[in-house]
Amino acid sequence: MGTMAIARKYFRIWKQLSLLAIGSFLSNRIDSGAYLAGKLVRFGFFLLLIVSLFSFTDTLAGYTKYEVVLFFLTFNLIDVMSQALFRGIYAFRFDIQRGNFDFVLSKPVDPLFFCLCRMTDILDTIFLAPIVVLIVYVMGRLPVPPGPLQLLHYALLLLAGMTTVLGIHIITASITIWKLESENAIWLYREAMTIGRFPPEVYSPAVRAVFTFVLPIILAVAFPAKAALRLLDGKTTLFALCYAAGFFALSLFLWQKSLKAYSSASS
Amino acid sequence: MRVAGAKKYWVVFTVSWQKELEYRFNFFLARLRSVLVMMLLYFVWVALTKKSGRFAGYSQAELVTYVFGINVLRSVIFGAQSRQVASDINEGMLSAYLTKPVNYLVRTFAAEFAQRSLYAAAALGEVLLFLLLLRADLLVQRDAAVLTLFALSVVLSATLYFLLSYSVSLLAFWSREAMGPKFLFDWVLEFASGAYFPLDILSPALFAAFSALPFALIMYLPMEIYLGRADLSAALRGIALQATWVLLFGLSALWVWRRGLRKYTGEGM
Repeated sequence: MGTMAIARKYFRIWKQLSLLAIGSFLSNRIDSGAYLAGKLVRFGFFLLLIVSLFSFTDTLAGYTKYEVVLFFLTFNLIDVMSQALFRGIYAFRFDIQRGNFDFVLSKPVDPLFFCLCRMTDILDTIFLAPIVVLIVYVMGRLPVPPGPLQLLHYALLLLAGMTTVLGIHIITASITIWKLESENAIWLYREAMTIGRFPPEVYSPAVRAVFTFVLPIILAVAFPAKAALRLLDGKTTLFALCYAAGFFALSLFLWQKSLKAYSSASS
Repeated sequence: MRVAGAKKYWVVFTVSWQKELEYRFNFFLARLRSVLVMMLLYFVWVALTKKSGRFAGYSQAELVTYVFGINVLRSVIFGAQSRQVASDINEGMLSAYLTKPVNYLVRTFAAEFAQRSLYAAAALGEVLLFLLLLRADLLVQRDAAVLTLFALSVVLSATLYFLLSYSVSLLAFWSREAMGPKFLFDWVLEFASGAYFPLDILSPALFAAFSALPFALIMYLPMEIYLGRADLSAALRGIALQATWVLLFGLSALWVWRRGLRKYTGEGM
């Protein structure tokens, strides 16, 4: 099968799985509506916090209000996109604990793809729209609005960020296979992601180093915003792209290792 | 008879404690999550107070104490057991408890108390470790009267949160879709209670709106009492309000429980 044929096959599978997920969300309208409202409340309150902070100060860690808001919105963009696309990983623990992963392994589809993408979150997909609108608005209010080159730079680093975040999701899935009890692994990542709500200069150098090199949240979330703000040079961009690729390769290696360690819960 | 009654809830407490410690790696990850939230808030407030040592009427020591205090109070006040209530009702597991000589509300509270006490001990350790590592300046309250009011306020906060959360979970009697509303409730409560920042940094209109809700009594009030920012009359007024809400929500939880039981179908049996 050629590469295009494989891509078409996986797109069809993803489309079908997404339609099923949409059907499931629509059949639980109260739950879905309340979850969406909860996400909006969380987003709105943090935005309110940032705006409130700036009624007492002009800068935070050297950044103006709209610059800080851009960091916050970029964090939300990557966080929400990863939740929309890779929501399946949140149910992975149950598959492992109940032995359902055996059925996934027996399907003629890559098990990692299936586990990550089987539950597209329509609520997060809806939520992406106001975030993108706000990003466009905030970029226009920056002291120096980004030009086409900066927007391209921003998009490139968003791609690197998504690759990094995908790698983190794969590593948490691998941990789940190794350590059955690790239900908090994915939630630990979610909490760690919140480091990206504020500019990295807020944190101490040691914290910045950990969240850039060990658990590369800053690389994934703050680097794109810095690119839009013209604060990221070519060398750092190259490093970010290489690191994202390397981190993703490492996550795939760990996934393969964990698959070999998998012993079905039902057998 | 009364002693035997109390003993069974003590057993629930000890069993729940053991259950929490059974999955130690998971417990460790859960605590790490809590540390991350504390770290995020600590660095933000320190960055904001770096220039003048003050921000929005708070000194750096007060804000750092607020962050560390909240980390401990989160563990003491916020529990997860009431989430189990919705699942017990929806999956028919409640039937097993209804046939036993236990009060479901007290049993749930005993299980939650076990989790909270364990998490609170861990949170205290984390704060001490952070203090040593960061050499942060902390406001240590020594006034016995203030500490007594603070302790009383924390006990009422924990009870108020439990009753609020328990009542929302009882929605499961009427709908299988109780988890979404609980998610929404949790986020509104976390922010409106002051679990992320002191509420008075908001604009006066928003602060007045949040103060009118019972949520502000859950985190913001105890911390303001501890920091000595609430004077004696404000503290006593706040505590009286807490007691009133506890009474109201306690009665409403009982009422909702009785009404809900009539709707309960024991699904899955």
